[in-house]
Amino acid sequence: MRRFGGGAIAAAIALLVAAAAFGLLVGSVPMSLSGLLRGDAMARAIFSLRLPRVALAAATGAALATAGAALQALLKNPLADPFLLGTSGGAAAGAAAAIALGAGALGAPIGAFAGAALATAVVLALSRRGGRLDLQRLLLAGVTANAFFSAVILLLFSSSSGANARSMLFWMMGSLAEARGSEAAALTVYLLAGGGLLFGAAPTLNLFLVGEESAASLGVSVERTKATVFAGAALLAAAATSFVGIVGFVGLIAPPLARLAWGNDQRRLIPCSAAAGGALVVTADALSRVLFSPAEIPIGAVTALVGVPFFLVALRRLS
Amino acid sequence: MTGDLVLSGVEVSYGREKALAGVDAVVSEGRIVAIAGENGSGKSTLLKAVARVVPISAGNVRVGGESILAWPRRRLARTVAYAAQSVDLVFPIAVRELVRQGRAPWRSGWIWENGEDRAIAEEALRACDLLDVADRDATRISGGERRRAFLARLLAQRARIWLLDEPTSDLDPRHRLEFLDVLRDAHARFRPTVLWATHDINEALAIAGDLLLLRRGSVVSGGAVAECLTPEALRRTFGIEARIERASSVPRVTFFR
Repeated sequence: MRRFGGGAIAAAIALLVAAAAFGLLVGSVPMSLSGLLRGDAMARAIFSLRLPRVALAAATGAALATAGAALQALLKNPLADPFLLGTSGGAAAGAAAAIALGAGALGAPIGAFAGAALATAVVLALSRRGGRLDLQRLLLAGVTANAFFSAVILLLFSSSSGANARSMLFWMMGSLAEARGSEAAALTVYLLAGGGLLFGAAPTLNLFLVGEESAASLGVSVERTKATVFAGAALLAAAATSFVGIVGFVGLIAPPLARLAWGNDQRRLIPCSAAAGGALVVTADALSRVLFSPAEIPIGAVTALVGVPFFLVALRRLS
Repeated sequence: MTGDLVLSGVEVSYGREKALAGVDAVVSEGRIVAIAGENGSGKSTLLKAVARVVPISAGNVRVGGESILAWPRRRLARTVAYAAQSVDLVFPIAVRELVRQGRAPWRSGWIWENGEDRAIAEEALRACDLLDVADRDATRISGGERRRAFLARLLAQRARIWLLDEPTSDLDPRHRLEFLDVLRDAHARFRPTVLWATHDINEALAIAGDLLLLRRGSVVSGGAVAECLTPEALRRTFGIEARIERASSVPRVTFFR
């Protein structure tokens, strides 16, 4: 029995660092590490172009995977993911609405958070039957919510004048193409806030793995924990979405892999999932730049391609 | 007297339906109470109300004269332990980890494996004959072993009141007898108050000194087995005739029509 999570967390962070190195080195123009170390101007230019993108990808993956891991423990459901629960869709629609209303870049995250919180609350309320979460209802409500939010985004962009198909694609499929260092820094601040909230709930989330009633009978204040975790997850999904658009399935891929590698103790799983999610999105982004070079496919499309098999595996295990 | 469990006018509603319609009961500290009644009579709900996993809409539950309704959850969990009728586990969890959860009310979740908690969990594993499967995944052991794992978690919780909801319902005869042995030994050692909801009244009578008969959310009869186990009370509880043999020290009920 492992006594402490230090080794596991170090391994997960090493994975993230390796992925980041990979993300910095590959691309339509390869960058040589020796060139960078020699102070070669070309290598430095590529590095300073790629670093914000890799950092933003890592923070996005970490945020979405952390939200997924915590929601899965809370709801005792391996399919809980900010995308499938409609949280990311609500965030994108909320951010797009804020922008359409003229709130500007500053208002977008606030709109995203409002949309994310509202979407999660509605989907979960619709998924309850007889006091417990019903899997079929959850999936149906999530699908319906996502269709609804896609329609809202389409509507907003086709009616507003300055809109173009490109920014619509950004919200609906995610994009790292225009990553800026300031965005990566801002998302990291949100990641620390939301991730800290969820990490703080980790020992309590361990008790939710057996169910809500069981957690309550062991002294857990269930409603307070739920409020904390939903707020933290909504914050993470909203922040990631308002900087990168909708990136789905990260929460379905990274936490299960981290769980397989390092076990299901949430005190260990939440930080390990964050690192694994960051590594996943950085790698997916690097591959999308190389495989389809010089074209780039949206990051959300890449994670969806990888994520669907994970969804099917989780679904099979549940039913 | 100090730790008596007293229910007064306890009501619980699920929507418009009243699952408990004003239950009054007094359980002296250290007694084992068999709770019997038809399906839907409120047996499970009564346990859930005492564990406060369902909201009580009226009435009060007191332990040693103090209302438990206002207690912080953690204090309640140090006093009352609850084993649900069935729990479906989705994620893998080692039996030992599951049993250690019983220590949660007593420690901060951030402390990794405190020595005393570990010793108590090991002792509970041993008492429930689970040492062989302690490292196995609780989703992959037999139903009987899983029942014992939740009993071990309850033992590790070291509460004074144990609520058991049909703890033997899916066990084969051998495991039922073993479960009774474990419970009997644990009771002799810790002297908890036990509320045991059951469909098998004879099994519960093997160790219960008290009886609480429920019908449609109300008490038909409650008190010492010797006084309230009568054919008349059983007829009013279950709607069928019953014969009671008292040849041995343990009474035996046979139902007929």
